[in-house]
Order: sequence, then structure tokens, then C-alpha cells
Amino acid sequence: MEVTSAMADEVDYLKTQLGEKEKEIAALKTKLAAFEKNSTSVPQLLDRVTPLTPLKAKAALSNEDIMRYSRQLLLPELGVQGQLNLFKTSVLIVGCGGLGCPLAQYLAAAGIGRLGLLDYDEVELSNLHRQVLHGEENQGQTKARSAANAVRRLNSTVECVPYHLQLSPENALQLIQQYPVHSNNVPTRYLVNDACVLSGKPLVSASALRMEGQLTLYNYDGGPCYRCLYPVPPPPETVTNCSDGGVLGVVPGIMGCLQALEVLKIASGHGSSCGQQLVTFDAQSARFRSIRLRPKQLGCVVCGEEPCVTQLIDYEAFCGSAATDKCRRLNLLSKEQRITVQDYKSIVDNAEPHLLLDVRPLVEVDICNLPSSLNIPLSSLEEKKSEHMQLLQERIGQLKQQIDGVCWPPVYVICKMGNDSQKAVRILGKMSGTEVDNIKVKDICGGLMAWAQWIDPKFPQY
Amino acid sequence: MCDIPSCLTNVCVLYFAKSAELSGVREELLQVDTPINSQDLWTRLLGLRVLQGHVVLAVRHQYVAIDDQEALTLRDGDEVAVVPPLSGG
Ligand SMILES: [Zn+2]
Repeated sequence: MEVTSAMADEVDYLKTQLGEKEKEIAALKTKLAAFEKNSTSVPQLLDRVTPLTPLKAKAALSNEDIMRYSRQLLLPELGVQGQLNLFKTSVLIVGCGGLGCPLAQYLAAAGIGRLGLLDYDEVELSNLHRQVLHGEENQGQTKARSAANAVRRLNSTVECVPYHLQLSPENALQLIQQYPVHSNNVPTRYLVNDACVLSGKPLVSASALRMEGQLTLYNYDGGPCYRCLYPVPPPPETVTNCSDGGVLGVVPGIMGCLQALEVLKIASGHGSSCGQQLVTFDAQSARFRSIRLRPKQLGCVVCGEEPCVTQLIDYEAFCGSAATDKCRRLNLLSKEQRITVQDYKSIVDNAEPHLLLDVRPLVEVDICNLPSSLNIPLSSLEEKKSEHMQLLQERIGQLKQQIDGVCWPPVYVICKMGNDSQKAVRILGKMSGTEVDNIKVKDICGGLMAWAQWIDPKFPQY
Repeated sequence: MCDIPSCLTNVCVLYFAKSAELSGVREELLQVDTPINSQDLWTRLLGLRVLQGHVVLAVRHQYVAIDDQEALTLRDGDEVAVVPPLSGG
């Protein structure tokens, strides 16, 4: 009978599934056992800031030190004293990502005394193209732990302090007071800047996005702080991060190495020549530019003569957005203007006539797309590019004929995460009945990533 | 009164990071008056208003304060750079 055969299929399916899960559990147990075996020699992962013992200055280099560091000891700019200075320096690295990895790597290799490695994220497959301290086997592990392990393999004489926590106004000062030199790379820049100014520490800051990089040394030798240059935070909707904008892995690699260079110059006592300068790197033309900045501003709210920021504030409120660079979710539309991916799936299954509009940039559509979709990037809609407007009107016209004009043609808008699609729905709503025929336009909540998660697990995630 | 060639000059504007996205170009030649104050030079650069207070403007690799209305003497071929901070890590 049909029913029993379907049931037998279901039982078989469940058995296979169960078998697979059992295998997964066994693999996880082996992995855990391996970790527990090693964990005795691994520094403890901290989830809060604890007092650290001050680093002891070494009186002289051991024979092993001399051998290990011989090639840099030969440099008159570093020399024995510079190396001894490195041994007694602690550096806090905020973020063990594309910049933090090469930075930690070169500082550890050069023999820095202590590295604070702070990150709140776990290692993901999409990190590995630029976050070169982490490996495939570290996926799912905390980045702080993974980076500390990698650093320990490279130079076991460096003391690593992995912090699995988010930098906040509550813990930042205590943390930063324990480390004379800092580097940061996350959009908690105002927080780190203020904490550095308030505790009188220089900040070696670098950033990288797409094919560009920047390096600036703040609060150093009469130079400006971050607020002297950028008194006003950017409107949140103008901020692009790596997961929206993309980045070629070697670009943060280069910037992280530059950061390491400046940290080593400061830590060894040689001093940095980047004070009061903004270095930009254009990876496309392989050009560096150096912009001479103004000195620190007397009127600056945190480093000026009469500062009004004398303790850390609420930076999320100040910047109008969450301080992590995780994706923000917009909510621009009413419930009636949105459908779920499940709703859209049944529209497809029922072969209901509609137009699916994908508003991502072409480069993303080339990565993956739904076969029936029409691609018009959000930017083209915003600018009302004529060739795209024509194309859109054409497709709406065809759809109108298909449904015989009984109702307004339905247009469903999709993007990667469901933010841009909402903006597009707003724009199309205004165009409806003026620039194009009347349409009923709705947003598909959560975009293609929700589609991949809930409807089609084979659909690529990026 | 002066004749036009002595009052106008061609500068090369370089757009970095978000400003390249907003202006749609990475560099352009721009004809501007000289001398010009920094605020007027800034307003000649289209579509960047949203960045004010969060951008470094540099002329000949030297920082220029937009709101101080500094008087700038520009020469043909001078490089003007618009550098908002990068947000990526
Ligand atoms: Zn300042």
C-alpha cells in the first residue's frame, strides 16, 4: 500500500539521519578529548578582566634569545636594548580578525612580552581567507582561544591572555590600563579612543575594506585623537562592513603588518614616525599616501584643554548603532508590506504569476541567485537609471497581460539579508502608478540567507 | 577684475573609502577658484554632505579643516584627497 511504503521510507530516512548524528557526536567527543588533553598547557580563556602581574624586565638576553632574535638584533634601530624593551611590553589587540591575526603573528614572532587577545566571535569558514592565524579545524572555536594557540605554537615565550568578551565602557579602562600599547580594528573606535586618552596610552589603529587600507596613530606625541579628526560619528546607514562590502584578505594582512611595525617601533623605544599622519593604501594601484594631520585640538571633547568626556559613556547611544560590526536589521515596512520566505515558497509552488526582483549588486548576483529573478541593483533604483526603469516597466507590463489586469501585478523584492530589499520596496512604492504601472510590492523578510536557512539548504550562503 | 585663467585652476580630487562610493568615481579633475576657502572647496565636491564631521580633507597631502574656512591657494595639478575613515576590520 502507498501509505506503508511512505512510512517505510520515512523510517529509513530517520535511521540514516540518526546514524549520521551518532557519527557527528563521536567525532565531537574525540575532538573534545583532544582539546582537554592539551588544555593544561594552554592559557585560560578569560570572560572578564582580571588583574595581571606586571611583566618583569629581563637584565640580559639568554643564548636562546640571541639565536632566535639574531636577525633583528643586528639592526642598529632595534639592538639589544630594543629587544629587552619588547620583552617587557604588553600589547592589547582588540579583535583577532583580518588585521589582528598578522599583527599578533608578527608581534609574537618579534618577542613581545605579553599579548592580550580580545575577541567575542567564533571562527567561521568565511573568516579563513583573511584571518590567517585560524585554521579549518578551529571553526566554531572562540577566536581569542584559536589565536592564542597559534601564537603559542609560534613563540611559546610570549605570554598570551585570551579574552572572550566584548569591550564595553565597564571593562575598557581596566583592560586598557594593563596594556601600554593598543591596536584596534572594530567600530568601537570611539570607546577605544576615549579609553586610551583617559589612560594616556597611544593607539595604533588600522582598518581595511574592499581594496583599501588606512593606518593612523592616535594620542601619540602631541598628535590628534580619533575625536580630534572625527568629532561626529557617521550616520549608521553610511557604514559598510566587511560582510557587506567584502575585502581581499591580503589587504588587512598588509595593514596588520604595518600596525605591527609601528607597535614594534614604539615598544622597542625607537619611536614611531607615523604620529600625526594618516597613511592610506590603495591596493588597486599599489600606492601608499601619507597625509599630514593637524595636531591635537585644544577644543577636543576628550583630549582637549577642557574635556567634557572624563569617563566612558554609552557609545552605542552616541553612535546610534550597535557597537559590534554584526549585521543590523532594519525595520522600515509595515507587516502588510512583507512576506516570509515560507510564504514566497508557496507562491512559487502554486505557480502564482509574480515578478521577483533581486536588488543586490551584480557581483553578488554572480555568486548565487534564484533562477527566475530580475536583477536591478538598489543603487539603480535610487538613481532611477533609465535602462533599468525601462526593463522594469517592460516586465511589469508582461506580468500585467499574464494576470489579465484583475489586480495590481505583485512584485516581490529580495536581497541578501532583507535590509536593502526594504529600502527598495519603499522606493518602488513611490514609483508605483507614476514612473511605472501600479504594482503591489512586498519585501521577502530575511532575504536569500533566510531562503538558504529555511527553504533550500543547498542554496549557497556567503 | 581678473581674467578667467588666472582665477581658475584644475585640481585632481581623489576619493577614498565611502566618498568613492558616494561620488561614484575614484578621482576626477575639478576646476575651482583660487584662492578658495576650505568650506567652499568642500561644497564643490558633490554628494558628500553626509560625511561632514567624519572625513579628512587634504590638499597637497596636508590636512585642511573644513569648518575653519581656511583660505587655500591652489595650483594646477594639486591633489585634493577626501578620506573618510574605513569601517572594516
Ligand atoms: Zn582629541
